[in-house]
Amino acid sequence: MNVLKVPARTIAVFILPALLLYVCIVFIPIGVSFYTGTLDWDGINTAKHVGFDNWHRMLFDDPYFWPAVRHTLMYSVFSMAEIPICLLMAILLVRFIKKPNRIVSIYFTPVILSVVIIGQLWSTIYSPESMGGMLNSILDSLGLDSWKRGWLTDPKIAMYSIYIVSLWQYFGYHLLIQFTGVQNIPSEIYEAAKIDGADGFKADRYITLPMIVPILKISLILAFIGSLQSFDMVMVMTQGGPAHATDVISTHMYNSSFLSQQYGYGSAIASFLVVLCLVFTVIINTIMDRVERRFS
Amino acid sequence: MNNVKKGIVYLLIAVLCVTQLYPLFWLLTYSLKTNEEILSGQFFALPKSPVWENYSNAYNAGHYLKYLSNSVIITVTVMVCVILFSSMVAFAITRFRFRWGNLVMLIFLLGMMIPLQSTLLPLMIIFRDAHILDTRWSLILPYVAFSTPIAVFILSGFMKTIPHEIEESAYIDGASIYRIFRSIIIPISIPPVMTVCILTFITIWNEYILAATFISDEDLKTLPFGVYSFVSQYQTNYGNIGAFLVMGALPVILLYFILSEKITKGMVAGAVKG
Amino acid sequence: MANKLKMLSAVAAASVLTLSLAACGKDNNANNASPAESPAASSSTANGGQVNNGEKVTITVQNIYVDETTPTAKGLKQVVEAYTKEHPNVTVELDTLNTDQQKQKLKTQAAAKTIPDITMVNPAAQMQPFVEAGLFAPLNDILDKDGLKDTYQSGLLDYYSFNGNVYALPDGNNIEVVYYNKDLFSQAGISSPPTTFDELIDDVKKLKAKGITPIAIGEKDTWTGSFLFMNILLRTNGGPGFLQDVLDGKKTFEDPAFVEAVDAFQQLVEAGAFPEGATSIDANAGANLFKSGKAAMFVIGSWETGAIDGSTVGQAGNAAAFQFPTVNGKGDPNQFMLAPGTAFAVSANSKNVEVAKDFLHFMTSQWPSIQFDLKNAVGQPQLMKGDLKAAGYSDLAISVLDLFSKVNGGDLAFDNTMKPAIAQVHLTSLQNLFVQKVDSASVAKEHQAAYDANK
Repeated sequence: MNVLKVPARTIAVFILPALLLYVCIVFIPIGVSFYTGTLDWDGINTAKHVGFDNWHRMLFDDPYFWPAVRHTLMYSVFSMAEIPICLLMAILLVRFIKKPNRIVSIYFTPVILSVVIIGQLWSTIYSPESMGGMLNSILDSLGLDSWKRGWLTDPKIAMYSIYIVSLWQYFGYHLLIQFTGVQNIPSEIYEAAKIDGADGFKADRYITLPMIVPILKISLILAFIGSLQSFDMVMVMTQGGPAHATDVISTHMYNSSFLSQQYGYGSAIASFLVVLCLVFTVIINTIMDRVERRFS
Repeated sequence: MNNVKKGIVYLLIAVLCVTQLYPLFWLLTYSLKTNEEILSGQFFALPKSPVWENYSNAYNAGHYLKYLSNSVIITVTVMVCVILFSSMVAFAITRFRFRWGNLVMLIFLLGMMIPLQSTLLPLMIIFRDAHILDTRWSLILPYVAFSTPIAVFILSGFMKTIPHEIEESAYIDGASIYRIFRSIIIPISIPPVMTVCILTFITIWNEYILAATFISDEDLKTLPFGVYSFVSQYQTNYGNIGAFLVMGALPVILLYFILSEKITKGMVAGAVKG
Repeated sequence: MANKLKMLSAVAAASVLTLSLAACGKDNNANNASPAESPAASSSTANGGQVNNGEKVTITVQNIYVDETTPTAKGLKQVVEAYTKEHPNVTVELDTLNTDQQKQKLKTQAAAKTIPDITMVNPAAQMQPFVEAGLFAPLNDILDKDGLKDTYQSGLLDYYSFNGNVYALPDGNNIEVVYYNKDLFSQAGISSPPTTFDELIDDVKKLKAKGITPIAIGEKDTWTGSFLFMNILLRTNGGPGFLQDVLDGKKTFEDPAFVEAVDAFQQLVEAGAFPEGATSIDANAGANLFKSGKAAMFVIGSWETGAIDGSTVGQAGNAAAFQFPTVNGKGDPNQFMLAPGTAFAVSANSKNVEVAKDFLHFMTSQWPSIQFDLKNAVGQPQLMKGDLKAAGYSDLAISVLDLFSKVNGGDLAFDNTMKPAIAQVHLTSLQNLFVQKVDSASVAKEHQAAYDANK
């Protein structure tokens, strides 16, 4: 309960600077973006008003749009699927390692690296053998010749190759969140349960899981939102290529705006992305709230 | 049975350590190899003799110090602003009695979902009209704006858990709101503030797109931009690229290992209560 | 502090350079009488000394010369130092980005009308939107000064002209040739370069059988594949002008010439001509495949001559070039893909238009002699005078320059002729052919659909 009764002026002092800055830098440009979505503009000359033409084209006439949406959603599914694994590892760390913090720090290291660095690094790992690519070279020396692939160039698997990089980077991030959540559960509860005969994985089912649900919710939402907006990683590694095989919504938007010089169309895609994010956040929130209720 | 289970668990943990760290180790060895060694595909091999020239090349040609200092200036400024703003907002939302607390929170949450890249063009036009394009402000303002929501999220989550008695007694004793904020709330909130510091630092330090677009003055460029330019420039000298990548990552890694304890503690305090 | 150091070293360097430039100037003057190529000494009289009334001014020169070891980057630096020495009130800031970054940044700046004082653009269709929006200043006045116009190869400036005004001055003029590695050819048992497409496919197979990558390419940068493809189209169309015909409504992309070209291109892919994972190799890495002796051929613009000369292949005397073969008996080998270079333009909205123009005039007047001395005479937009052999140019360079004299017409690249939206579809469609086989007729349809939607 909020208890401090303060004059309006004080409220303003505390809230307005941040709020104003935020509205100006974030909301107004988005409004501009929605408006630009109704234009046909090459970015340099004057624009033409075309109403919902861009949206119509995007939803019905663009052969690369829905695949990009599919890629983006799959990206989110993969990101979210990683979280139970992070939870499992977090539990194992808490249970079996005396000083788990060091290991958690190690796992977290990829998170702090810039996307440019990670993109470069993994592009080199995925390179063809002739260019010094690590993965194919390893497969070769293990005698698994037939498993070699064009990891970033084969349209069928390129997207998955990029998913893996993202999973690799954020593994530590979600692990850390789950880890702190698990650590936070007071050990008395476990002890009490042990007395009643429940320990090990049984304890997990009835204690850890229910108590970790709020944390899971945070992780899932962060993973989901992050992947919907995923842009830097794909951009650095493949720019959405080859031939749209790894396009996600953001890269499609970027390429339409800056490469094809169709800023109106690109803005429509950007607006779609915003709507998508909002819709899904509400959905996830509702689902998680229900799960939370069931468990408590 | 228990030992086997333990063994499997240890193995799993160890394997993960390797997969998470090995690419970085590889990058390090890569940066010390010559081009031929790199292209020969013997990735497990250590460099025959470390090619330290890769680092001096990268340092000189890549204007490392200049970019580094720009990154530091911008990141520190942004961090200070973000902590100031977000703590004030979080404090207001969680302690003040006024009608629109939830609305403000909602506004910030909504904003978290807005992709950065779709504001690129509109911001360019706004900044041009305000004559701050190609200045530090053109980066500081958006960085602060985009980092504030998460900071507010974390800090408000934490502040909700501060017992009210603390301020109530001070308030009754006649302390002003500002005093309470400065002398009581902030000191208690150090752990989540550290978390916010670190998260903000990582995001801003590594940010590339805005920096590349808004800044053209050579003297103002930041490190990620420098890394990217360097990579595109020295496409064929992989050793140099590796060296520059390592130098680009070094500041963050160092800072991280020094502060890793605080991160964990901070996350406990903040993220949990979301 | 950093600025002072910069200025001091700039002045020091400039003095050294002016001395060496003057020395070069003497040699050149001995070989020719063209006034436009005069070095720093005489340009000060041409400028009459002062610009901007002696008031302090800064101009930004946006450029794509990221690799500081190239002659173009070195030349630009020399010019900047010489100019600022002569006009101490002028500071020249270089905004250096790689090609794609610069293109994208320029577009963002164009939208916000914050184009730098001097920037770089590609000819014809790529610069047209900027010209139409009135973003560039006409350069006719500086071209008329000191006979600068006549130093350019005839007809070249047309690619940068609209409505009788020239809006940009190119940094190069190149043609597409096929470089090849003589040593690798003989290893595969190929006695002489192919003159027909069938022979080319044959050679590709022979090289592949020996484990040699037949043709180097960096298709992560999609323009490389397009450039090669357009050469095929130039042949199957029996001559230049296919894209122009499409623009004029005389032909469509579903014309047999286009489909035939797509077919031929896919033949190359199927024969294994290109390196594994070509679409993840960028242009520079692709070039390196040839320069390090891993690939036998390289279909690229003549701008690579200098770099190839300096590479291991060039140094060993193994590099040579041949003209792109005929395809299915069609096409004239003396017709080349033309690549008028990226060009310098002046922003019409710049606060320092006159200073920028003055700098550009200075730079383009100096350029031929500077580039000649940096061994970069091949692919220059302006007439080069000087004894190449005596100046130490390689056989490769001389033979490529020889090809220039054979040029009997040609085409510009796709993205220099068509609008960006259509060009993008073409580029990605072609990139797709590297990774999977597609029905050629449907590729043609895709092109036509994009064209119709974006006319």
